[in-house]
Amino acid sequence: MTIRILVVDDHPIVRQGLKTLLEGHSGWQVVGEASDGAEAVEKARDLNPDVMVLDVTMPRMNGLEACRLLRSQAPELEILFVTQHDSPQMMREALEAGARGYVVKSNAARDLLAAVEAVSQHRVFTALNERSFPQLT
Amino acid sequence: MKLRILLADDHEIVRRGLRALLEKHEGWEVCGEASDGREAVEKALQLNPDVVIVDIGMPNLNGLDTTRQLLQHDPHFKVIVLTITDSDQVIREALDAGARGFVLKSDAARDLVSAVEALQNKRMFFTPRVNDLVLAGFLEKGQTVSRNEAPKLPTLTAREREITQLLAEGNSSKEVASLLNLSTKTVETHRSNIMRKLSFHSIRDLVVYAIKNNLIQIELPPPPKTPAGPTAA
Repeated sequence: MTIRILVVDDHPIVRQGLKTLLEGHSGWQVVGEASDGAEAVEKARDLNPDVMVLDVTMPRMNGLEACRLLRSQAPELEILFVTQHDSPQMMREALEAGARGYVVKSNAARDLLAAVEAVSQHRVFTALNERSFPQLT
Repeated sequence: MKLRILLADDHEIVRRGLRALLEKHEGWEVCGEASDGREAVEKALQLNPDVVIVDIGMPNLNGLDTTRQLLQHDPHFKVIVLTITDSDQVIREALDAGARGFVLKSDAARDLVSAVEALQNKRMFFTPRVNDLVLAGFLEKGQTVSRNEAPKLPTLTAREREITQLLAEGNSSKEVASLLNLSTKTVETHRSNIMRKLSFHSIRDLVVYAIKNNLIQIELPPPPKTPAGPTAA
C-alpha cells in the first residue's frame, strides 16, 4: 500500500535523515517537508498526506499546537510525533492533542518504520526509553 | 583519493541525514559512524579519518571532551563541532578544545559542506558569530578569545569531567566504573574529589553544573497551551 508522508522538523538535516529512512521502505513516499507547525498545517491542506511525522519543538508554531489544529481540519490524517522529549508527560500531551504515535528521536531509526506502519493502519504506537531522566538523589 | 569522514552523533537519524548530505559530494566518503564520544575516539584511532564531525551533546563523552581526547592522541585530527547553540561559552570551549570548524546543527544542511571543504583546504570554518567573537576578543585583548567569562570547567581534570558527565547522566558509581574500566573505589574517590572541588553536596548540584557547563544538554518542552495564534516553541 502506498503511504504518503509529510515530514515536519525545523532541522533540515533531521528531515533529510527521516526522509532517507522512510523512502527506503518500498511503497512509501515523502510527499513534502515543512520546517514549523504553521507550514505543516498549510502543507497538510495542500498535499493531503496519509501520515504526518511531526517534531514537537519548532519555531513559529510548535508541533502540539499544529496537531490540535490539524485534528479538526484534517481528521483523516494520522499524526506521529518524533521528538527529543523522552518523557511520559509529553507523550500524554501529544496523544491528548490527537496524535496516534510517539517515538523518541534517539530511537527513530529503530522505531519509525513500525510506528508509521501502525498509525497508517489507525493503530496507536508509542515508545519511550526505559530510563527517561537522570535519577536525582 | 577520497576524503574520509567520521560522523559522531547520538541520533542515528541525524547521522543518516549528515551521511546523505556529505556523500552527495564527489570525492567524499563517510568511513565510519559513532553514537557517542567514546566510540568516536576509538573509531578515529582505528580508521584515521581526514575529518571528524562531532555533535557536542553526546552521552558518555560529550563532543568537547571528545575533541580534546582526539587531539591529545593526535594533534593532526581535524574536528568540526556540531552544536545546537552558539553561545559565547560554547564557542570558547570549542575553540579551547581545538575544533577547527564550528557549525550550528540548524544550519548544517547549508554550512557543513563548506566547513568540510574549508578543512580539506587547510583552513578553518566558523559561523559568523564565532568570527565576531574571535575578532572582538582579539581587538580587546590582543588574544584570540576573551577569557572574561571563562567557565569553571577547567578546575576539573579530563577524567573528572568524564565522570561528572556520566554521573549527571544518571549512572551509579558502579556503572561509571564499568564504562571506564576502573574500580568502583577509584570512581568513588574521583566522585568525592569532584564534590569537594566544586563544594557540592548532592548529585542534583552536579546535574545542574553539568547542564550549565555543557557536559550534558537538555531540551526544554514547549510552553503549555496558548490562546489561538502562532507562538515560539
